[in-house]
Amino acid sequence: MTTRDIVLVALFAAIIVVLGLLPPLTLGFIPVPITAQTLGVMLAGCILGARRGAAAVLLVLLLVAIGLPVLSGGRGGLAVFAGPTAGYLVGWFFGAYVCGLIAERFAKEDQPELAQFLTFLAASVVGGIAVVYLFGVPWLAYMSGKAFFETALASLVFVPGDLIKAFVAMLAGRAVLAGYPLLPQRA
Amino acid sequence: MLNGLDIEGDSPLHLMPVRGKLVLLFAAAIGLFIVSDLRILVPALGLSAILYLSTGIGFREALRRVRFVLFTVLLVAAANYAFHSLHEALVVFCRLSALVLLAAAVTATTSISAFMDEITRLLTPLERFGFVRAADVSLAVGLVIRFVPEIFARYGEITDAHRARGLPVRPLTTLVPLIILTLKDADTIAMAIDARGFRRH
Repeated sequence: MTTRDIVLVALFAAIIVVLGLLPPLTLGFIPVPITAQTLGVMLAGCILGARRGAAAVLLVLLLVAIGLPVLSGGRGGLAVFAGPTAGYLVGWFFGAYVCGLIAERFAKEDQPELAQFLTFLAASVVGGIAVVYLFGVPWLAYMSGKAFFETALASLVFVPGDLIKAFVAMLAGRAVLAGYPLLPQRA
Repeated sequence: MLNGLDIEGDSPLHLMPVRGKLVLLFAAAIGLFIVSDLRILVPALGLSAILYLSTGIGFREALRRVRFVLFTVLLVAAANYAFHSLHEALVVFCRLSALVLLAAAVTATTSISAFMDEITRLLTPLERFGFVRAADVSLAVGLVIRFVPEIFARYGEITDAHRARGLPVRPLTTLVPLIILTLKDADTIAMAIDARGFRRH
């Protein structure tokens, strides 16, 4: 990685931290408040690509582990990784990587707008939701002991909120590609 | 604005080396998951709580830090109670909360710089294979801590600009300028770092 890549990774990690400082959005039709932080995971992949995006997420997780309260709601420290939802945090890293892989491979600056939108939506849904749940749900199920099936099922409450975030990530990813493209120069 | 979660003090946990604390935490995690006997798990939870409070953190602050994670633990325990048995619920609750409290105790007694030193030491073997450079990791951590307040202030400026123009503050119209403005700084910051020779080989 060049110095510029390291700076981009650090700045994006800082953006993810700031997204956690913003007050959570509450939408009328969804019972759970939506925090913008997981949106940052999708955006990291869509904007920086696989390697730099995953590195930015890993940097945020490192800050959490060394005891900085950088997760939404001022959470931080090793306790977060000891809780039943730690799998989602691990999933963030792989999610950003997969999201970046899809965005890097299929998003081109000279594509029609619709193709770019569809690429970023696919990247956000596959990387930012499917891969994150792939790590989060089994971990939660394992931590829950005998009620693994019920808790896994209950975690699906968050899917509608995540779909909205994927939609926002799609719009933002396209806008950044048009305004300040970083995807083409891969790390 | 970005302050660590460590608390000054000289309890036994404060004096322990970081690596020792992490190894013990890992061992405790494995132990807690092997055991499912309440006669061991309940005292283990009590011991973890005493250990966490012995770090000199006040009761209120101690609770504030772990309440979110404990809430998720409670939800999981409640699911066990509702669909299985009270015994199962208690086992899960004691096991997970003991682990959470122990982890919080390690965080409360370890400073950011002590953690960074340990991480640098752990990364040194990887450096030999060319995966990652420990100095780059600490540089990146420093950059994040330096730029979070600035980016947060920039977010405030963007929402102010919206209000001054009578526009509604929407996630999308604030997010895109925030990201583009922030990432555009990367070139100047990178040049400044290289000009100072921080990443010399």
